[in-house]
Amino acid sequence: MSAACHDESAPKGSPSSARALVVLVGRPNSGKSSLYNLLTGGNAHVGNYPGITVDILEGEVDLPSGARATIADLPGLYSVEATVDHATDEGVARTFLEGLRARGESVTLLQVIDPTRLALGLRLTRELLRAGLPLVVALTHADVLAAEGRALDVDKLSGAIGAPVVLLSTRNPSGRATVLGAIDDRIRAGADADRGGGTFDPSAVARACTTDEGGEPEKARRARTARLDRLLLQPVLGPLLFVGLMALVFAAVFLVADPASSVTDGAVAWSRGRIEALLGGGLAASFLSDGILAGAGTVLAFMPQIVVLTVALELLEASGYLARGAFLVDRVLRFLGLSGRSFLPLLMGHACAVPAISSTRIIRDPKERLTTILVIPLMTCSARLPTYGLVLAAFFSHRSALFRASVFVGLYFAGVLSGLVASAVLRRTATKGKGLPLVLEMPSYRVPQPRVVARKAYGAGKRFLRDVGTTIVIASAVLWLLLKVPMPGVTPGATPIESSVAASIGRAMEPVTRPAGFDWRINVGLIGSFGARELMVGTMGVIFGLENADEDPAPLTERLRDTKKADGSPVYGTRTGLALLAFFVLACQCMSTVAAIRRETASLRWPALVLGYTYTLGYVAAVLVYQVAGLLGSS
Amino acid sequence: MTPGGVTGKVTRMGTPLASAPLDTWVTISRVTLEGEAAAWVAAVGLHDGEALVVLRRAALGGPLHVRTGSGGEFAIGREVADRIEVEPVAEEPA
Repeated sequence: MSAACHDESAPKGSPSSARALVVLVGRPNSGKSSLYNLLTGGNAHVGNYPGITVDILEGEVDLPSGARATIADLPGLYSVEATVDHATDEGVARTFLEGLRARGESVTLLQVIDPTRLALGLRLTRELLRAGLPLVVALTHADVLAAEGRALDVDKLSGAIGAPVVLLSTRNPSGRATVLGAIDDRIRAGADADRGGGTFDPSAVARACTTDEGGEPEKARRARTARLDRLLLQPVLGPLLFVGLMALVFAAVFLVADPASSVTDGAVAWSRGRIEALLGGGLAASFLSDGILAGAGTVLAFMPQIVVLTVALELLEASGYLARGAFLVDRVLRFLGLSGRSFLPLLMGHACAVPAISSTRIIRDPKERLTTILVIPLMTCSARLPTYGLVLAAFFSHRSALFRASVFVGLYFAGVLSGLVASAVLRRTATKGKGLPLVLEMPSYRVPQPRVVARKAYGAGKRFLRDVGTTIVIASAVLWLLLKVPMPGVTPGATPIESSVAASIGRAMEPVTRPAGFDWRINVGLIGSFGARELMVGTMGVIFGLENADEDPAPLTERLRDTKKADGSPVYGTRTGLALLAFFVLACQCMSTVAAIRRETASLRWPALVLGYTYTLGYVAAVLVYQVAGLLGSS
Repeated sequence: MTPGGVTGKVTRMGTPLASAPLDTWVTISRVTLEGEAAAWVAAVGLHDGEALVVLRRAALGGPLHVRTGSGGEFAIGREVADRIEVEPVAEEPA
C-alpha cells in the first residue's frame, strides 16, 4: 500500500533552499514508512517538486548540529537503473532523483535496508552510489536481526560499500538520534566524504558482514513462518481461508462502523435541528440544512467505514499476509488479464475507488495498471451501500432477512464479477498488449506497528474528506438549488418541487429511462448521484418532502412503496428496485473517481471510456432486469 | 545451513525453474527474458549465479514461491519461471 502512505490531503509547501534536503529511499517493505514516522513524528506536508505529479511527503527535523533538514519520503523502488514506466511508484522515485541531479541540488540520500535481506538492499545501494549522490544507509529491524540470532558488523559494511551505515530498530525511539547524527555527519563532511564505490558484490558483502550467532532463534522463526505458509498457502485450504478472512474483514467493517455511523448521523441531525431552530424555516435554513448539511452528513456517515477498512487492510498488509493473498489469486486474475499485483488496489476499491486508483502505482506493468484503474469503479465501494439498503428495505421487506442478506452479498459478487469480465474484455481490446511478468516480493510475517497503522488511517480519513467531501457538498448545494428554483414556463404542479428545474429535467429524461422503470423522481436522484452516488438517498428524501430522510430511511421506504399513479397502482414495484440495483452496481456515479482516473492516466480518454462503458452497461442491465422481471410476473 | 535456512536435496539436472523440484537448491544459469522484463527481474534480485529454492507452487498453474540465497522470498509467475534456467548446485550453498 505504498501509494496510500503518500497523504494527498496534506497542504502543498515548498522545500526551503536554506535547509538540507534528505531523501528517504528503499525497496518496498524495507521499513521506510516506519523510519519516516520515527524521524518526523508523523508530521508531514506535501512537498512541491518540479516535474513530480505525485505528492511526495516531507517533514522538518532538527539535526544535532542545530541545522534544519527536510526529510522527503519517496515511494519504494527496486532499481534506479532498470527501465520503468514513469507513472508507477518506482518511476516517480526515479524521476525525482533524476530531477535533483539535473538541477544540481544539494541532497543526501538516506537508504533504508531491511538487514535480514541485506544482499537485496545492497543491490540498490550499488546503483545509488553509481548515481553519484551522497548516501547514508540505515539498517532498520535491528530487533528482528537480534531475534534471529544474527549479528552485523556495521563498520565492516560501511568500509565495504564506501558509505556510512547505522543499525537501529524503528520501534526504539533512540534510533532517531542515531540516524539524524549520521545524516548530520554526512552533510558536514560534504563532497570530501565521497569514496566512490558501486562496484562491490552485494551477496559477497552481505555474507562477509553478517554472522550467525547461534542460529536457533532464526531456525525457530523460519520454522514458524514455514508452518504459517504451509497453512495459509496450502493449494486448497489457503484460498478458502483467504476468502473467509476477506468476508470477515468486510463484515467487521460494517459491524464496527455501523455504531459510529449512527453517532455521526445523530450529530448531523442535531445540527440540522439547531440550524432550523436558529434560522427558522426560511431559504437560508433550508439551504444549510437540506443542502449543505444533508450532503456533509452523508459524507461523515461513511468516514468510519473508510477508516476501519483502511486499518483492516493496513494490518493485513503490514503483517505480510496480503502478499500471500496476491499469490493465491494470481492465477485467477491472470486468466482475466490481470495478476496478483492488481489484487490490493481491487481490494481497496471496496472501501473507496479514489485511494484505490492511487494505489495502482504499485503495479509496474503499464497495461495492467491501466486495466486495473478502468475496472476499479465496478468494485462495490461503501458509497453504494445506502442505496442498496434503501432498495432492499423498500421492496424486499416482506422477504426473510436471509434472503435480503443473500441479495446484499450477491451485489458484492456482481461487482467483482463485472469487474473481472470487464478486465478480460479490456485486455483483449482497449488495453491489449504484452504485459510484464509477475515477480512479487513476499515480505516476512511481522507484527504491525500501531503508530504506522494509525497514520495510514488518519491519512485515509483526511483524503476521503477532501476528495469526496468537497464534491458532495458542492453537488448537494447545486441540487438543492435545482429543486428549489421553478422551471420558467412550467405550470406549477402539486408541490413546488414538481415544477422545479430538477423535476423538469427528470421528466425530460423519462422517455429514455421508462424502459428501466425509472420516473422523474428517480431520474432526478440519478442526476444528483452523478457526482456522488451516495447522494441518491438524500436526494430522494428531499424529493419526497421528508426531512432528515438520509438519517432515517424508514419513512422514505414507505413513501417509495406507497406512491401511487393516477389509476391507484403503485409507481414503484420490486422490479423497479431490482433495475435500480443493477444500475448502481455498474454505473460510475462518482466524479471524484473520474477525476482520480484523469489524474492517474493524464488523459481525458480513459475517464471518458469509464463513464461511457459503465453507464451503458448500467442502463442496459437496468432495462434488461426490469423487462425480464416483468415477463416473469414481477410487480 | 543453506542461505535461506531451508534444508533440502541438491538437484542433479539442469532445468527451467518452473520444473525445478521443490525444496532443492539450484542456481540461476541464464535468464532468457528480454528488455524491460529482464531488467525488472534482475532489479529484484533474480540474476545469473543467484541461488534459490522453490518452496511451493500455487494451484492451477499459479506462481511459484521461491526463496533466494540473498534472503528474499518472491512469487514468480510460471511464464517467468519458464524463462529462468537453473543448474544444479554441486553442494548446498554456504
